[in-house]
Amino acid sequence: MATRTEERSTTASDRWVPSACKMCLHGCGILVRIENGVVTKIEGDPSNPDNMGKLCPKGNVGMLRLYDPRRVKAPMVRTNPEKGPGVDPGWKEIGWDEAMDLVTEKLKPIRESDPRKLLVASGDFQRIFNWAWPAAFGSPHFFSTVGQYCGAAYHPINGITDTSFAVVNDYRYCNYWLQIGSGDGFSSHLHLSGSALRMADARMRGMRVVTVEPRMSPAAAKADEWVPIRPGTDRAFILGLMHSLVFEHGLYDREFLRDRTNAPYLVGPDGHYALDTDGKALVFDGTLGAVRAWDAPDPGEIVLEGRYDVGGLECATGFQLFLDILADHAPERMEEVCTVPATTMRRLAHELGEAACIGETIELDGKTYPFRPAAVNYYRGAIAHQGGGEDSMALKMVNTLLGNIDVPGGHLGVPLDIRGFFIEPDEHGMLKPQAHILHPPVPFKFPADSLQMMEWFPLGMDAGHIAVDAVLNPERYQLDYTPEVLLTYHSNPVWNMPAQEKVRQAIATFDYVISIDVVVNETTEWADLILPDHTYLESTVAFMCEPPAVRGLVLRQAVIEPLHDTRDATEILIEIAERCGFLDVWNGFLTFLLGLGEREELALAPDRTYTNDEIMDRFCRACYDDEHGLEWFREHGHMVREKTPAEAYLPYDGLRIPFYYEVIKVAGDRLREQFEETGYAWDTSNYVPLPSWHNGPIHGEQPDYPLYAITFKTAETNFAENMSIPMIERITAGAAQTRGVLLNPRTAAALGLADGDPIEVVSRFGRVEGDVALSEGIHPDVVAVSNALGGRNGGKGRKCTHFNTLLPAELEYTDNFSGALESVARVRIEKPTKEVAA
Amino acid sequence: MTRWGMVIDLDRCVGCNACTVACKIENGTPPDHYWARVYTEESGTYPEVKTTYVPVLCNHCEDAPCVTVCPTGASYQREDGIVLVDQDKCIGCRFCMMACPYANRFFLRKGVLEAGYHGERTAFEDAKWSAFTEGTVTKCTFCAHRVDDGLEPACVVTCPTEARIFGDLEDPESKPSTLIRERNGKQPLEELGTNPSVYYVQGR
Repeated sequence: MATRTEERSTTASDRWVPSACKMCLHGCGILVRIENGVVTKIEGDPSNPDNMGKLCPKGNVGMLRLYDPRRVKAPMVRTNPEKGPGVDPGWKEIGWDEAMDLVTEKLKPIRESDPRKLLVASGDFQRIFNWAWPAAFGSPHFFSTVGQYCGAAYHPINGITDTSFAVVNDYRYCNYWLQIGSGDGFSSHLHLSGSALRMADARMRGMRVVTVEPRMSPAAAKADEWVPIRPGTDRAFILGLMHSLVFEHGLYDREFLRDRTNAPYLVGPDGHYALDTDGKALVFDGTLGAVRAWDAPDPGEIVLEGRYDVGGLECATGFQLFLDILADHAPERMEEVCTVPATTMRRLAHELGEAACIGETIELDGKTYPFRPAAVNYYRGAIAHQGGGEDSMALKMVNTLLGNIDVPGGHLGVPLDIRGFFIEPDEHGMLKPQAHILHPPVPFKFPADSLQMMEWFPLGMDAGHIAVDAVLNPERYQLDYTPEVLLTYHSNPVWNMPAQEKVRQAIATFDYVISIDVVVNETTEWADLILPDHTYLESTVAFMCEPPAVRGLVLRQAVIEPLHDTRDATEILIEIAERCGFLDVWNGFLTFLLGLGEREELALAPDRTYTNDEIMDRFCRACYDDEHGLEWFREHGHMVREKTPAEAYLPYDGLRIPFYYEVIKVAGDRLREQFEETGYAWDTSNYVPLPSWHNGPIHGEQPDYPLYAITFKTAETNFAENMSIPMIERITAGAAQTRGVLLNPRTAAALGLADGDPIEVVSRFGRVEGDVALSEGIHPDVVAVSNALGGRNGGKGRKCTHFNTLLPAELEYTDNFSGALESVARVRIEKPTKEVAA
Repeated sequence: MTRWGMVIDLDRCVGCNACTVACKIENGTPPDHYWARVYTEESGTYPEVKTTYVPVLCNHCEDAPCVTVCPTGASYQREDGIVLVDQDKCIGCRFCMMACPYANRFFLRKGVLEAGYHGERTAFEDAKWSAFTEGTVTKCTFCAHRVDDGLEPACVVTCPTEARIFGDLEDPESKPSTLIRERNGKQPLEELGTNPSVYYVQGR
């Protein structure tokens, strides 16, 4: 029996067109059926090795967004000057010329006087080149979320370690998969459809899965073992586990640490590398019995541990410093923090270390690699915390200890896009770190120009929530200008930012709000002007985003003519650039961002207005050749193929990766010096080269807020554009994990609550209403809220339990190294007051 | 003679509801008609808890009670085992819904199609909902229209973990027959003697 949709006949009135999904950012290959001009079905493209014909629930409903009656069908201008939640803006449709005149009238004077007065919020990952548009305008801001409560602490550590953006364990060869705070392979994160199949196949061949998290998620339900943990304490768990691995079981890869990392490099009392007079990092050579440069000719064997005198200073290897810290993190002490029994930590350490097959090798395509089929995979739940940098570092280091980084069976870096890894040596024989993959680092400046203070995060990501604080408290950041206009582009900050009430207050201060979007939502409600974009089924872009197992471009293409008077967002931004007088700058940016400059004939001329199709054609040809332009992709859909072993495994072979994160320590020290010169108080305490356990703002006894609130994503809603699609809403409303606020029955009983009872969840920062849903699959300290409960558009009688309202938008809850926001809230549960119940 | 059947591998299923949604789109089923759906079953007490995702659909029983009780012949079984409802013959008496031990039939109330999901009909709903008549009973067709075209059902094709395996139960070498044999496939409520064409496997 055929499984391949493409084998079906195509007629003029019944066609299947290849494209890419945009119901999340990752872009699985799809085939779209168009019957009599109506999109009636979307299936996975079986010819695309990324998702292999599979499609998650979000991808299946793509046409419901296309035909959503809440689409913005033409440019709309507000007629009611009063703004507020639930206040009807009195939308009036206008023509595009009039709309673009209004945009020009607002933006051109700002562009010419002080472009910092424009704030942009962008969330369009597939057209990520458009994220640079504000910079071309001259605006440095980021008024949205990009990672402060998902990957802010994850991406920089990945980039510093091996220049990857994301990371996931090796589905093909891993035999022991420890999953911590991640849905990879089960319910969320990277390329769900293909990852779920790869994970299911791996489990069926006998790979063991152990899942550590506060809630019995699909990853925990399908695991061989679920280990419940108190939220925000994953670092304590992994430090306890590493303590046992190293000191009790002796199961770690000394050869990998010695030969492939900086663990043996000598570190001085200042925490920086000890250097010789030529500026070279030093090691202790056991054969010579002396300190020498890392690359000295005719070397003997490097020693991993110890303290050595270098020019009268006592220096220690990075590994020695790690051991010194680890000695204080015995499983018993960590158990008190994370609630996982010390005996469990010890047993898991032993299982993991044994399964890593330390010392074994595997030959693939004629090359011999270390074979380490055991790895720890993690994401948001484990690292989106005020100490997220240290969390992320600790979780990376357990893998480095096992010698499994980028080797078969291990923990594999995932590049951001088609460019792959960025392989360049630094001066110490290391892979040059790439903390910033989304945009170049922003040099220090005081006061900062950007509202998210990007100038003060030399290694971190844009912490958009700080922009909210800065708009409301400009004196705190010594701002010397006032933001005036907000442009949101595929971004819904009122929904996706923390501290919803503060976001509303901030938005209320702007003179004018312009939204480029597909549907009306919580943020467009505040707009003065909406410019409607095409949906993904009406627009075209070639891309690849965070592919765990494949390489190559996929084309998302217009499969039907636009239904409404909408325009492609890329072309809207080009026209604004032209009208505001910076088309030349923007064309130069696009040429650079899309790599068009390497062939002169593909580079964009400064003064010409290009269509999106023209730009995409040049991009495809720049990535491949003239045979593979846009027309080729329109017919064939993609150039996606499996990664070769040489691309997937140690593509930077011969260069070392960090074990001791010296680059973070150096950056933090430099930042502190820069601030000392200004006299401004800025905390740099999160810039540490090695992780340790210490309480953050959500830890410890907090009698007024005894519980820990967490949020989670499901396959129906993760990274999604579809939460307000009624078909999806009705499914999540009936599902066990998403029907209400999850509480352990014992916790509920102690509070006198029963299943279905109305409650309010109260943090220091906000209060939300909800209904109790009892589950034995929840840590008793925890209140768990699915993001499926947050919607108010199209909801069917369910309460809006908007988790982000419970979170702060404050520096004290932000990792000052990475920009990660604490995404666990300490809360208490109250019975509803009459006003709220009404 | 072919007898179409399905094996559902409970070890593979991650409860993502892709099947639920793919079915609703392929067949354009009205709101709250879930021919394919997934139940989450939780058992035990914290921390010794077990969660199982159980996808269900019409079992296309060989001895189908819904067909037996239908007074008009609207519910019928094809030679290949697929149980269908002829909407032109269905009078909406719902005897079949009472007879089905698996709650796999759905009554289409008056007004549901007109309102659509949004209170107004969309182009998608216009295109897909013409197959249904208010006041009748609907059910999973095993995607007979696809099967007759040589294609697997929509829920099978989309399933990210390949937890649904479709094929001919009469062919001992088919994928479902092999799985039933090798992994001890079980029919739902097999004690009722309806001989479902859907089997479940669990444990490896």
